[in-house]
Amino acid sequence: MNRRYLPQYLAIAPFFVLFAVFGVYPVLYSLWLSLQRWNGVSEMKFVGLENFRFLLTDTAFWNSIGNTLIIWVMSTIPMLILSMLVALGLNSAVRYKGALRIAYFLPNVTSIVAMSLVFGSFFSNEFGVLNWFLGLVGVDPVQWLSDPWAIRVAISLMIIWRWTGYNAIILLAGLQALPNDVFEAAKLDGAGPAQTFFRVTLPLLRPVLLFSVVMSAIGGLQIFTESQILLGNRGGPEGAGMTMVLYFYNTAFADNDFGYGAAIAWGIFVVVVLFSILNWRLVQRPPKLRSQLKGAGE
Amino acid sequence: MTLTRRRFLTGTAAVAATALGAGACSSPTTANPGRITLWYGTNSVSEKLLAEAVERFPAQKLTPSKVSGELNQRLLAALSGEAYLPDITLIGDGISTYFSATDRFADLNALGARQDEPRYLPWKWQAGRSPDGFQLGFPIDIGPAALYYRADLFGEAGLPTDPRAVSSALSTWDDYFEFAERVKDKLPGRYLITDTKMVFTYSLAQEKQKYLDRQNRYLADQSQVRRAWDRAVKAFQMGLTAGYAGSASGEGVDRLAAWNNGKEVSFVNASWITGSLKQSAPGTSGKWRVCGAPGGSGNQGGSFLAITKYCPDPQGAYEIVKWLLSPENQAAAYQELGLFPSSPAAFDDPRALAPEEFFGGQVTMEVFAEIASGVQAVYFSPYDISISDTYTDELTNVESAGKDPDQAWEDAQTAVERLLRRQGVLA
Repeated sequence: MNRRYLPQYLAIAPFFVLFAVFGVYPVLYSLWLSLQRWNGVSEMKFVGLENFRFLLTDTAFWNSIGNTLIIWVMSTIPMLILSMLVALGLNSAVRYKGALRIAYFLPNVTSIVAMSLVFGSFFSNEFGVLNWFLGLVGVDPVQWLSDPWAIRVAISLMIIWRWTGYNAIILLAGLQALPNDVFEAAKLDGAGPAQTFFRVTLPLLRPVLLFSVVMSAIGGLQIFTESQILLGNRGGPEGAGMTMVLYFYNTAFADNDFGYGAAIAWGIFVVVVLFSILNWRLVQRPPKLRSQLKGAGE
Repeated sequence: MTLTRRRFLTGTAAVAATALGAGACSSPTTANPGRITLWYGTNSVSEKLLAEAVERFPAQKLTPSKVSGELNQRLLAALSGEAYLPDITLIGDGISTYFSATDRFADLNALGARQDEPRYLPWKWQAGRSPDGFQLGFPIDIGPAALYYRADLFGEAGLPTDPRAVSSALSTWDDYFEFAERVKDKLPGRYLITDTKMVFTYSLAQEKQKYLDRQNRYLADQSQVRRAWDRAVKAFQMGLTAGYAGSASGEGVDRLAAWNNGKEVSFVNASWITGSLKQSAPGTSGKWRVCGAPGGSGNQGGSFLAITKYCPDPQGAYEIVKWLLSPENQAAAYQELGLFPSSPAAFDDPRALAPEEFFGGQVTMEVFAEIASGVQAVYFSPYDISISDTYTDELTNVESAGKDPDQAWEDAQTAVERLLRRQGVLA
């Protein structure tokens, strides 16, 4: 290596040093930890793959994967539709553009713990604001915090509330970057607003939408705080709010079972990898399929 | 010397490298070398007394440090890193976790604890001692469990209202359920029992044994668990439990509202709930009373102070602990924070015996003191919290999600066995 480049290497070293200390080392150590039985204070005991054997037959873990995916789907689809509507609205807003954008973005920067406490009162079974409101319009109160499905809906609603504005701003940026001439051409060809939206706007926005989907998949697989604050470490009745990360947290840091906690973390890793592959396949449609689709369309 | 980009980069990198290098070799073993650091949590030790201790023990240079969040997690992290450790630390009721690592702590018996032992409740003192006799914890507070009830509503339902009369009418859980049924007819929509979790937890707290013995072996006889479970299910099936949803701590919005609007007529809980009750339902002041819980005396919760082996002056640290937790100071801490004394000598302190307006002028200390003296020494194993959570999760499934109780019991058994097999307790 040429000594001339030493300063440059040194200049980029802090990142790599920090990444090695706080990134690589913990990852490798957690792999080692997943082969141990350890309560955090006494001697570690090597147990081989026993933790993983337990993990494969652990219904609570499989349940938590299911919950995470259900909550992810229940939150992401309405959220994307909503944020698309908000983005379209913001795009055509005439007045108070800046203020409106800030207002929609605000939930995303609100402290998540403060927010969860407020939602705790909001969803409360008997004295919650939401049930009071439902009562006003003649709907029977919903057991938001004790019915397993209502719990999942409640958590999804919190995620929707938090991320709609964020995604609306991203989609808005995408909308503003679209070339005007395509819309003019569509108009000249006599396309109505609906046709323009579905045939021109949406296809052109595809990369931005995919970004939103990928980002919400990353966020969705890590759902934790909403569940924990709303329902505690155990995820509520039937573990309906028990997500993968909450299960990991509860096992490692509430049950002091760090070895099994590490094994769960690796289980989550595998789920995330599978998800990433799926995402990848969706984004990178094979050219053959694309031409087939094209052929079918013509 | 002019600042060129290259010089700037070289300089920055050199500074960063030095800082990293220096950081790596000089992390101190204790948080403040040369001083005695004491870790405590919110409302776990009186800050007034800590401030006084700093003045009183100038030689030890006491540095109290409040740990926000999970103190236990931070202690585990500091112990495994052997760095930034406290000299004195708070340890909660899960103290038995540390019995497998007594080599990281100072044996209080070597520091003169044997002489102080007689001044504290024997069962609590024993809870801070490992099976091989290592005195790890010095008792701070305890959580004697009592029945809290609304005297005005009891009167309205035509039931006795005087604490003595109530406790003798409710000496068993079955009496309590029968009582609750009568109130249910007279005052519809009101509940005497919070939820199945309450019945299970406090019923088990009255037993001689829980789940494991002091050698951390799973008890062959788990009939006490089944008894607590059956009671909880019975209360639910009789329609006597309110089953408030929400926050796992049992203090969700619905429960706090129930305290205020009189939906919760009574409940069994350890003494530490008094603070929340007063704070959350100030409008009900004067209407509450406490008396002995149905089924007998039980304890739930309570903490200890321990001295780590990394403390350079264990004797000095012990003097601080001994002073902070002396019977007189425990009485002061009870008055200030509601930390229930672990020393019977504090039960007779005039400050503790003041009549309480919130409880209609009742001297609640008399009730709690009697319960505290009747508690049996029960071993609280490192796995007890996880096991209890497993059972109460299943009870919540029965209560909130309509699960079949027999199925729930089977599932709880399976989950507990799996948990213990994973931890190496069961083969």
